[in-house]
Amino acid sequence: MDVNDKTLKALTTALNFREMRQELISSNVANANTPGFKAKKLDFEEALARALDVDGQMQMNAADGRHHNVGNGGFNNLEPEIYDDPNGVVSENGNTVDVEAEMAKMAENKLMYDTLVQLINKKMGIMKYAINSEK
Amino acid sequence: MDLLSSLRISSSGLAAQRKRMEAHSSNIANAQTTRTAEGGPYRRKEVVFGSEPARDTFSEILEGELAENAQTVHATEVVHSDKVVYKHDPSHPDANSEGYVAMPDINPMVEMANMIEAQRAYESNVTAINTTKQMAMKTLEIGRGN
Amino acid sequence: MAIKDLGSFQQTLGKADAKGWSRSVDNDMGGNFDIKAPGLEGGTEGAKSFGEFLSDSIGKVNSLQQEANISMEKLASGESQNLHETLLAVEKADIAFRTMNQVRTKVIDAYREIMKMQI
Repeated sequence: MDVNDKTLKALTTALNFREMRQELISSNVANANTPGFKAKKLDFEEALARALDVDGQMQMNAADGRHHNVGNGGFNNLEPEIYDDPNGVVSENGNTVDVEAEMAKMAENKLMYDTLVQLINKKMGIMKYAINSEK
Repeated sequence: MDLLSSLRISSSGLAAQRKRMEAHSSNIANAQTTRTAEGGPYRRKEVVFGSEPARDTFSEILEGELAENAQTVHATEVVHSDKVVYKHDPSHPDANSEGYVAMPDINPMVEMANMIEAQRAYESNVTAINTTKQMAMKTLEIGRGN
Repeated sequence: MAIKDLGSFQQTLGKADAKGWSRSVDNDMGGNFDIKAPGLEGGTEGAKSFGEFLSDSIGKVNSLQQEANISMEKLASGESQNLHETLLAVEKADIAFRTMNQVRTKVIDAYREIMKMQI
């Protein structure tokens, strides 16, 4: 286990994306009454799973410009997918934000964020413990 | 820094909803006002919301991956309605020659509904701010206590 | 611990030490990490030597760590929604590692203790 290990990178990458997601959700909530505003979603799970290739299941697609990211932990150029929420219910002023759904997403995002921080701490803790026990 | 930007976005939401509250509570308070400084009855107010990208500077927009997807909200204008209803009340001091008074076209139910909606929207923005704040505090815990 | 076991333990540790020390012990062969557990010298099936036991345990700790890593990666990428399973796996790996570390410390302490003995 070293400081650069793949799992730690995965955890910190997920942390970054969840921070972005929180900003997007805040934007949706703030604009819940703005006429014509379309609710936005942010997806990073697929990109991250591809980069991790945990089960070795992903097929390398040579035609895909991003294939070099498969499995080898190429985390530096991961892009999230940001798009209009297809599940938005259009109200009469063109707004598609569902505040309750956004609140639920926010709660889930926060919970996962906390979990990721905790896991990062655990990993760092074990490393520091191993360092400290040289007596 | 995305979390700080989130705070800015949510606080814009708070400000916008507060203006909305002000407009509708003013409407309720002035439902019977027949005399205003500009002459004529009170004109019903409504706020119109508009959004704009949260990132201020051009460089922020270039660097940030959210780019223009995260938007702050503003009460961009206050619209005054020119609608007027005529009530028949000859004894009213502002009644015209036929005994009709020009009253503002304000339905208290509508105004109340708007105020409740504004309040709920305000609360949802407060929740967003609290969540953002907690996430930032949690981030500070990385490396602490090991 | 019986005296006989202590003696063989010393042989075991002596073999593990730098070669420059106690050639007499080295000459008194039989000391190596493959000493069978007491009572099982008959080579009963399933008997493990201390060396095998150690490397097995280290292997187990390692695989627990791997499982925990995989579990964390799956959680980060959203592939798994099992918070409790991940946290349990991490905790297991954590405890296993700390235990192994403690065992290592204790073995080294015991070794030093024995080295201190005036023979």
